[in-house]
Amino acid sequence: MSLSTTDDPPWEGLDGAERHAVCLTAAREGDRAALHVLVSELTPLVWHVVRGQGLNRPAAEDVVQTVWLAFLRHLNRLTEPRALAAWLITTARREAVRVRSAERSGASAAPAEMLDQVPTADGQPEAEAVRDDRDRRLWSAFRRLPQRCQDLLRLTVLAGRARYEAVAEAMGMPRGSIGPTRGRCLDSLRALLDAEGGSR
Amino acid sequence: MNSTSDDELLDQLAQVLERADPMPDGLLDRVRFAIDLESYLDVEVARWEHGSALAGVRSSAEPGSVTFTVDDLTVMVSFLRTQRGYRIDGWLAPPGPHTVEVRIDGHGSSTTTADTNGRFALPDVPRGVTQILVHLSGNGRSARTVVTPTLVL
Repeated sequence: MSLSTTDDPPWEGLDGAERHAVCLTAAREGDRAALHVLVSELTPLVWHVVRGQGLNRPAAEDVVQTVWLAFLRHLNRLTEPRALAAWLITTARREAVRVRSAERSGASAAPAEMLDQVPTADGQPEAEAVRDDRDRRLWSAFRRLPQRCQDLLRLTVLAGRARYEAVAEAMGMPRGSIGPTRGRCLDSLRALLDAEGGSR
Repeated sequence: MNSTSDDELLDQLAQVLERADPMPDGLLDRVRFAIDLESYLDVEVARWEHGSALAGVRSSAEPGSVTFTVDDLTVMVSFLRTQRGYRIDGWLAPPGPHTVEVRIDGHGSSTTTADTNGRFALPDVPRGVTQILVHLSGNGRSARTVVTPTLVL
């Protein structure tokens, strides 16, 4: 048992989805500290979801902000606080797709000097961006997985491994198939690593 | 061989995601600033119009002009460098006597009202992380505030 003072915010000592549900409830009542906790802890999830959709870094940053601004408006409409992560993932992905398709339809509008800043065709960094040798092999293997496996594994590590509901909802998969599918994706990842000379 | 367990591999993957593609410096601060608004309820998010607000060139010395939109309002804004900061000239379409607010992180905000042609100007705005808000007055729909993501000027 831990002693807590009355000054402790109600999310103190909680973690994961439970912590964020409590923060969401507090944020609804105007608690800005609660809102900032959500931003600090869930922005990495939003960032990587958007980058996974192939946006370059500056465009991804705009989308991250757009998602959080849209979140303000939805603060009172998110009836199920535990659905927050799923809402963020879904909104981030939808917004990223929207920006990407707008870019494609007017692709020539980008000045040439900007293209240099785009690391690869799909906006993700090349393996060379990673210094450590093991990391580089892992990143390179990860990037060769089917897109759906990349998305699933990315969400798994970012949304928290226990958040099957959020991941299932965002992926449009039945909850029961997340575990087995993830297992198969990890097996593929191991096979790619082995093919490259060991998974260690 | 396959000595890494699923959990170990996921741990490694979490690390490599962070190292290969870290969030931009200051992103959390800019998000916190962008959402630190008076009221959340009437917020409507404007999107930069493609081709005007090219991400990546926006933090360059002379950002020029940007256009942002919501479904029933277009806002064009141009920035002209001054000695101390920027002069902002803008135009709302369709025009209306709406209040335009420019927030600069650490420097409060400047406010003006668009004229009957939808034009507005703020002659001296400090540089910094900037957000533009348009407070739309009633006319049929309930009052709303159109807000943009931040620009770094």
